Formats: sequence, structure tokens, C-alpha cells
Amino acid sequence: MILSRVADALYWMGRYLERAENITRLLVVTEEMASEVVGLDEEVARAEWTELRTIFPGAEGGEPPRSLRALAQAALFELSIDPGHSHSIFFSLKKARDNARTVREALTIEVFVSLNETYRELEAYTRRQMADPPTFRSALAATQRGILSTAGAIEQTLARDPGWLFLQLGESMERVFRTAVVLRVKLPTLLAQEPKIDLPLFYTRWRGLLRGLSSLENYRKVHGARMEPADALHFLLFDPHTPRSLRYGTTAVKELLEQISGGNQLSLPARIMGKLAADLAYQGQDVLRDSQTLGFLDQILTELTRCHDSVSTTYFGT
Amino acid sequence: MHWATATSGFDEVFDGGGQPRTHYAPLISILESFTREDVDRRERLQKLALMNQGITFTVYGEKEGLERIFPFDFVPRIIPASEWKTIQDGLIQRITTLNLFLLDVYHEQRCLKDGVIPPELVLSRKEYKRELLGVTPPRKVFTHVVGTDLIRSETGEYLVLEDNCRCPSGVSYVLENRALLNRVFPEFFASYPVRPVKEYPTLLLDSLLYVAPRPSQSPVVVVLSPGIHNSAYFEHSFLAREMGVPLVEGRDLLVEGNHVFMRRTHGKRQIDVIYRRIDDDFLDPLAFRRDSLLGVPGLVNVYREGNVALANAPGAGVADDKAVYAFMPELIRYYLGEEPLLGQVPTYVGFRKDDFKYMTEHLDELVVKTTGDAGGYGMLMGPFASKKERESYLAQMKKDPGNHIGQPLVHFSSHPTHVHGRYEPRRIDLRPFILYGDRLRVLPGGLTRVALRPGSFVVNSSQGGGSKDTWVLAPRDA
Repeated sequence: MILSRVADALYWMGRYLERAENITRLLVVTEEMASEVVGLDEEVARAEWTELRTIFPGAEGGEPPRSLRALAQAALFELSIDPGHSHSIFFSLKKARDNARTVREALTIEVFVSLNETYRELEAYTRRQMADPPTFRSALAATQRGILSTAGAIEQTLARDPGWLFLQLGESMERVFRTAVVLRVKLPTLLAQEPKIDLPLFYTRWRGLLRGLSSLENYRKVHGARMEPADALHFLLFDPHTPRSLRYGTTAVKELLEQISGGNQLSLPARIMGKLAADLAYQGQDVLRDSQTLGFLDQILTELTRCHDSVSTTYFGT
Repeated sequence: MHWATATSGFDEVFDGGGQPRTHYAPLISILESFTREDVDRRERLQKLALMNQGITFTVYGEKEGLERIFPFDFVPRIIPASEWKTIQDGLIQRITTLNLFLLDVYHEQRCLKDGVIPPELVLSRKEYKRELLGVTPPRKVFTHVVGTDLIRSETGEYLVLEDNCRCPSGVSYVLENRALLNRVFPEFFASYPVRPVKEYPTLLLDSLLYVAPRPSQSPVVVVLSPGIHNSAYFEHSFLAREMGVPLVEGRDLLVEGNHVFMRRTHGKRQIDVIYRRIDDDFLDPLAFRRDSLLGVPGLVNVYREGNVALANAPGAGVADDKAVYAFMPELIRYYLGEEPLLGQVPTYVGFRKDDFKYMTEHLDELVVKTTGDAGGYGMLMGPFASKKERESYLAQMKKDPGNHIGQPLVHFSSHPTHVHGRYEPRRIDLRPFILYGDRLRVLPGGLTRVALRPGSFVVNSSQGGGSKDTWVLAPRDA
């Protein structure tokens, strides 16, 4: 049993840390894909950047830049080191660290130092000029390694106490939520554009979707190198083993909430997630018909938000 | 290698002939064995370690959230066993007296009736909490943790400059400085029997458990902090972590049925001992300052009922008042019938008419301080102030004479300090920490603060001071 304030801070530390990792990964994947296809089909490159900005929205602002180059530059800056953008890597890492600083006594030295070093490296980077693409990519890769080593320190050194459960809960909640958002934003074009663009490009985009959710290699282990959109979609929704599928994610959140709940009486958030996890485990192919998939994703996003809200009221007293 | 020695005041390391004192000789020869490049490289490692570990403090009045590292000088300060014994015995005598004084002024007020100290002087202090008259803290301990500031006179005598009986800070740096020095300059330790300081958190927890109102149960201890924006937040968090107890803020606590509880994810839990790092005035908006958002409404009432121990006890601040300080030698004689073991700086008390007249006439020779302030705020360094500064300070003094004290400027001791690639003498003070549990214990070490500007007398971290590791040596035959 821990202080509500501490549980709250650990939950958000977990969410922001996971979010920073998600932004980093999607930014790297988008940047690589857009620069690869830009000569082939500029509209695809533009769509990739536009979608990324929808997945990680900042404050409502004016028109997006017209030229593709300016659009890419803006997205790279905003989502990496812009301190004022609520979905930049820098902002998320800072929030993760701010939360960690308020609950250092609930963490280990290893966890704090790893997070602090990762943050400070990126902070040093924000003071320099935007670099050329290879330098930029290597800086993002360094940040991603730093975040993963923090996750490793959490895994290796933290006691499995209630504080750990809330930290994991934040991480799992952010992860499943982000997968759902990515699918919700990207599926309309992916499903609609099938006949319009040429085939290799079409497959490239599906592969990009899987890579963006760090699931490409896992997909290949199950389905081989051949890319079948229906299989890929089914994999991201229902695969029980890949950590970024919706089924895996909701089950992880459900199990954490059950442990936090304890005893026989399940808390409201545990019940919400129990039902959602069951839907994902037992509902099969039928939701994969085009017209139903997006509605199903909307429903999942609504339930995830409801669950987050009830975690706040139940445990954090907010 | 040429070593610059102190131009005024006692030199900690070199004697009058410029030779290192016996206990410093091994250190000096080790320092001389390092090249400048070695030293620079290790200093860089040292700074990096502090930043990465987040051992920082927040500076008030600067950009929000600005974190600074507390400058650390790697040349350690060494105190031989015999000198330490004097310090330790003197501090125990002093803190014993302070507690007897507090118990007295909140109960029978014998010392006031017997004319040892003027009643108005004590009773008019804002740190004197009239609301707590007649209240006895658990086990009669008022000052569970004291940090007393010492300086050395021109002859090297240790003098008490002030006692900090409220929330003395700095002990986390005592422990971190030791760990840091051992990491960056492990060679230093081989030639010295340095007494360890690591036990502090255990001893602190023991002292806190000792005053728990429900000793038979397993008492719940917490550290109460004003929060992340407080300049000493790192220390609050550090001590909670080291003791393995929760760090709480006012909003985590609530009072129900005259007990205090913390809000947890699964219901509330009763608290027995609060090591509070919040000033009296902010502790409880119902008892003291109504606009306090940091405190816990009703907490002081729970304390009054004896259902929670607060460390240090509310109202203890009157004992470290700078005007009360002037009467300490008398109070020691009065309560213990002993002569004070540690000297202190002669003090003129603005409360006395004659003293105040002397102060106004000798402002250019005196250091004048307001009685309630700490951290180097509200003070005039007469000998260094301009005429204009003295005049405007005088005008302020005249509005409230009783709120000021004056002391002659002590040219306190200097110690070689590594600044800009050279070793130069800089003034230092010493803050040992004293714990009051089943008995009084003095941590063998302390925070040595160092003024980083040449000739400066100001060692406060808020005013650009740094710190050193402080070594208390074990007796030779031990």
C-alpha cells in the first residue's frame, strides 16, 4: 500500500517514459520511410508525416506547412526536442523525470540515474543546432537506448511492490492506448488506398505500420516474410504474444489492475479492462470487415479512457 | 609546490612557519603527487557524478525549476580526535541545556522568574509559541536534530556561532560528500583513520522511533516535506530513502478523531512520528499561519493530545534565537552548574538599551543580524558595508531594536581550497549534527561550508558557498 500521490506520480512516470519511447520509434520509422519513398510518391511521404502529427498532436495551430520539406522539418523538430510541444520526446522525458524526482524514495538509484542521464543527454542536444539526418537519427537512437536501459533498470532493480504495479500500469496503459491510436489514424488510408498505389509501395506502408509498433519481426516469426494486410491487422489486434498487440496490451493492463485490486472484490477499472480484454480474446475475424474495424477501435479507445479516469478516481483521489 | 596561507585568521592546515600541521602532512604530500591534469580530470568526473545522480538544490528567486549542484571542494577538512572530543562534549552540554530551557519556558518558566534571562525577551519572540504553553512533547525531547554552526577564532579555538533547532539541513551532503570523495580521490583515505558517517540515517530513525507515542506497536514514521520546490528537497527525499520511510507532503496527510493519517491507494494509515522539514508557521493552518497550503489542518491539536510526535517539536525555534544565544553561557551554568566547554562570540543584544546604543555607535565594526532570520539573510557586515548601506540599515534597526543583535567580526579560519586550478585559502565553518534519542549523539563529521570568493566571510549555499568532506579521525589507540 502506498501514498496516493506516489502511486499517481509513478503511474505518470510510466506513461511518459513509454510515450517518449513510442514517439522516438515512430519518428525514426516515419523519417526513414518518408525519405525512402519521397521520390517515388510524394503524397505517400506527406501522408506519413501528416498521420504522425495526428497521432502525437500538439496545441491547435495554423495550417500545416505547404512544402513537404517544411512539413518534415516541422514534425521532426516538434516531436523531438520542442519543449513546448506536449508530445515531443523531450517534453515526455522531462515529465517522466519530473515525476521520478517527486518520488525518488520509491525508486532505486539505478532507475533514477538511468532516466536522468537519458534526459540530460537529450537536453544537451536541444541546445545545439538541428543536425543533418544521420546525426539526428543517431541522437534518436541514443535516446531510445537510454529509455530502454531505464526500463531495464526498472525490471532489474525495483521491488515488485504496489509502487511497481502502478509504474507498470502507466506503461502498459500508454502502450495499448498508443497502438489503438496508431491503428485508428493509419487504417483509413491503408484500407482505402489498396487499389490506388503500386504494390511494392503498398506493402512498404504495411511493413512501416508493423515496424512503427515494433512488431515486424514478431509478425514474420508467425506469418513469414510475405505481407498480407489481413494477417498484419489480425496480428496487431489479436496476437496473444506480441507486446504491442491490443489483445496483449489489454490483458496486461487487466492483470495489473487485478493485482492492484487484490481480494475478491474487483475495482471498477479492473472490471472495465476485464470486459475489454475478453472482447479482444474472444472476438474473432468478424470485426475485421472494413466497416467494423474502425468502430471497434473507437470503442476500445473510449473504454481505455474510461479505465484511465476510473484509475484516477479510485486510487489517486483526483 | 607553493602553498598560499591565510592572510588573516587561523590557517587550518599550515602553522605560522608555513609548515603543514602534523595531521595534515600526509594529505599535503598526496596532493603534491597529483599533476594538474589529473586533478582537472577528476574534478570533471566529480561534477558529472553530481549532475547524473541529481544531487542538486533549487535556488530561490531564479528561473523556476533551476537545479544547481552544491559546489564541492575535494580538499578534505581534517579534525583530530582530541579536538573532536572537545567539540562533542561541548555540543552535548549545549543541547542538553537547550532542551532544559525549552521545557522550562513552556512550563514553570523558572529561568525567567530567577532573572537569568529577561522574560520579555523570550516571550516576545515570534518563535515562542504561546499556544503550546504546558504541552510536553513525547519523552520530553524538543530538539531531536540540531545542527550547530561552529567557527574557529584567530587562535584556533572552536566557537559556537549559532544553534539550529528548527529544521537544520545539510546532513545529506555530509554523507554524499564522503561517498563522492571516496569515488573520485580514493587515494586520500589510505593514510587516515577516518570515522564513518554512514550510520546517520539509522541513528536518526532510532531517535525518531524513540519518541513514538505507541512504542509497543510498530510505529509509523514519515518525513514531511514542503515538496519538490523547496531548496532542501533533495535532502528530504534522501533521508526518507535512507531510512526506508515514506516521504509525505501536507496534502498526503489528514486529521481524523485527533489522530493523523496518510492517504493511500487502499485506505488510510495512522502515523506516529513526523520528521517535519516544514517551519512551525506552516505546519498547521488552524494553529499558526492560516494561509499555509503546506501544512495539515488540525495537526498541532493531535500533537497537543500526545497522539503524534513532531521532530523537532513545535516552538523549539525560540531556543536558537540569536538574542537567546547571548544568554547561553548563563543558561548552561544555571541548568547544569557547569562552565561552558565551547566558547561563543560576544554578542550585543538590541533588546538592552546600552547594547543597542553601542551597536548604533560601532556599526562599522560589527556584524549585525536580525534575530529571526537564517541563511545569511537580513544581515549587515559592518566593516565591509558602505556608509550609505550602514545608514539605511540603521534606520531599519531603529524601527525594531529588539529584533537585532551585533557581534564583532571574527576573522574565522581558512583552509586550502581548489579554485581555478590552484589551491587557495578560503574561509570555512563547521556544522556538526546532534541527535537526541535515548541519549545525545554527535555524528563524527559534519558539514564544512566554504566561502568560494577570496577573503569572503559568507559560506551559505544560498550565497555561493560550497562544501568539503569533513574527516573526524579515530583516536590512535582505538
